[in-house]
Amino acid sequence: MRPIGFSTGALAFGDFRRALKMLDDKPVDAVELSALRVNELPILAGAVDGLALSQYKYISIHAPSSFTAEEEPRVIQLLRKFVGLGWPIVLHPDATHRIELWREFGDLLYVENMDKRKPIGRTVQELTVIFNELPDALFCFDIAHARQVDSSMTEAFVILKHFGHRLRQVHISEVNTSSKHDRISRGAFRAFREIAHLIPQNIPAILETPVVESEIKDELTRAESSLRVEEVAVVWSPGQFAIQH
Amino acid sequence: MTLDNEKHPIDELQERLGADWKMIAKAREHAVTSRARLKEKLSGLDSEDTSIVVFGSLARDEFTSGSDIDWTLLVDGQASPEHLDNVLEITKYVREVEGKPPGQEGTFEGLASSHDLIHKIGGSDDTNRNTTQRILLLLESATIGRRDAHDRVVKNVLRRYVEEDYGLMRLSGPFYIPRFLQNDIARYWRTVAVDFAYKQRQREDKGWALRVTKLRMSRKLTYVSGLLTCFSCHFELFKGSKDTFDESSRALAIVEYLFNYSQKTPLEILAHVLNRFPHLDELARDLFDTYNEFLEMLDDEQKRDYLKNLQRDKITDDQIYEDTRRLGHNFQDSLTKLFLEENDTPLFEMTKAYGVF
Repeated sequence: MRPIGFSTGALAFGDFRRALKMLDDKPVDAVELSALRVNELPILAGAVDGLALSQYKYISIHAPSSFTAEEEPRVIQLLRKFVGLGWPIVLHPDATHRIELWREFGDLLYVENMDKRKPIGRTVQELTVIFNELPDALFCFDIAHARQVDSSMTEAFVILKHFGHRLRQVHISEVNTSSKHDRISRGAFRAFREIAHLIPQNIPAILETPVVESEIKDELTRAESSLRVEEVAVVWSPGQFAIQH
Repeated sequence: MTLDNEKHPIDELQERLGADWKMIAKAREHAVTSRARLKEKLSGLDSEDTSIVVFGSLARDEFTSGSDIDWTLLVDGQASPEHLDNVLEITKYVREVEGKPPGQEGTFEGLASSHDLIHKIGGSDDTNRNTTQRILLLLESATIGRRDAHDRVVKNVLRRYVEEDYGLMRLSGPFYIPRFLQNDIARYWRTVAVDFAYKQRQREDKGWALRVTKLRMSRKLTYVSGLLTCFSCHFELFKGSKDTFDESSRALAIVEYLFNYSQKTPLEILAHVLNRFPHLDELARDLFDTYNEFLEMLDDEQKRDYLKNLQRDKITDDQIYEDTRRLGHNFQDSLTKLFLEENDTPLFEMTKAYGVF
């Protein structure tokens, strides 16, 4: 059974406590604590010991997506706390200034593939350059980024063929034309299922879809089904689609 | 357009044969430097959603002194009025600074939408212009600057040809080749041949001798490269076996393979396939010697202009025309040996199976 859950940043941007509260009674056993903005990181690091996280069998941390070269050593220092807990760090490779500084996290550093706006980290060729710099790092596959870069899913296929051995986490959502995360549509569902067989069923999936609390369960079903290898039927009716197992 | 870590297949073939195809090398270098210059001058007019795509000799690495610049701004993303501004900027630069406007057909120099290219395959909406742009996008296109949109569109077009080819998806025929794609490439080649006659009438034979030479050489080579792309799926991708890929990966593996082929020029594809069959080296030498001579003729401004202005009723006993005609016939003779005669390759059997019917 695949561990599945949400990114706190998707549920309540900049407010991990509220996001965790929203997940309290939901069928999730994975969570990504998000510190996408650099000023969120010290707050999260300071609060983490007091957070109620016992329902999660998988926890990861999303490192800030933007910081200055001067801030970089401090960001790394703060992230050491989570690595000490055995939690992996998900990193946007374009955020780094001195990528070699990140080698200290070894295989608890998960490099994420990027969306089409970013200058690096989008394709196999670009990811190869990054993994050459971070040889021990593992991989967080953002399926929505991969689809945005190449909607035919060929690049996603090639990425998983090349880096499948490093794969440890999946980010799932839809990314719209403005590069904003969105709910999983029928088109995205169909596209994700084309490569679902390349994502082992034990790899945790973290949803980055910005949903309100009442939509969480439905979105979990969409995400879980879109990564299933077995056949499921999708029935579309105006305004929504339903999945029949 | 070969990947950095691969040896250029033409260089590999040339070295093995001890040949020296100076004009092919010169035209390639000219194309590479011209694309680099255009990239610098047109910087900022593309984006992650738009690619400046060039076709024809500039994309084929066959750029000679008299070559046109055929280009289009390919849009795959949010529509914006600024796209037209960018088209006007590119048009101005190519016409005024480079002095190389595209050909007269109006197929290029403007906007192209990914939607038409991806969705309108076949049917009455698939216009001559749309078919031409789509097939040339696959067989002879290159990008000036950002390639994101170009690559997405090529892969999505290929995905349609592959996923909707039920014979290929089931691997039901004697050879595992993308027949939907092959049929469209064949349709394009026949359209080019028919349009040759149309232009002959429309333009009252102006430029006839040069056009017929290109039809016999470069346009035919593009078709040949399309055939080889499709045929090679069987012997290179599938290695003749149904078990090469599991069913769930088959479609994407074929799209990836065809996309990688689409990054090669027609001459590279020809050399790449011929490198697999060294027993055909003499045939390879004839093909490339002839093509090298053809490019020399195109690069000779006097000869090119002479052919451009030569009237059809004056060709009898004209030495320059006879020379180019001989090139066309030599090229065809070699292609006949490659595709239409037993030669210890699968190409003859494939052509027999799929080349006509």
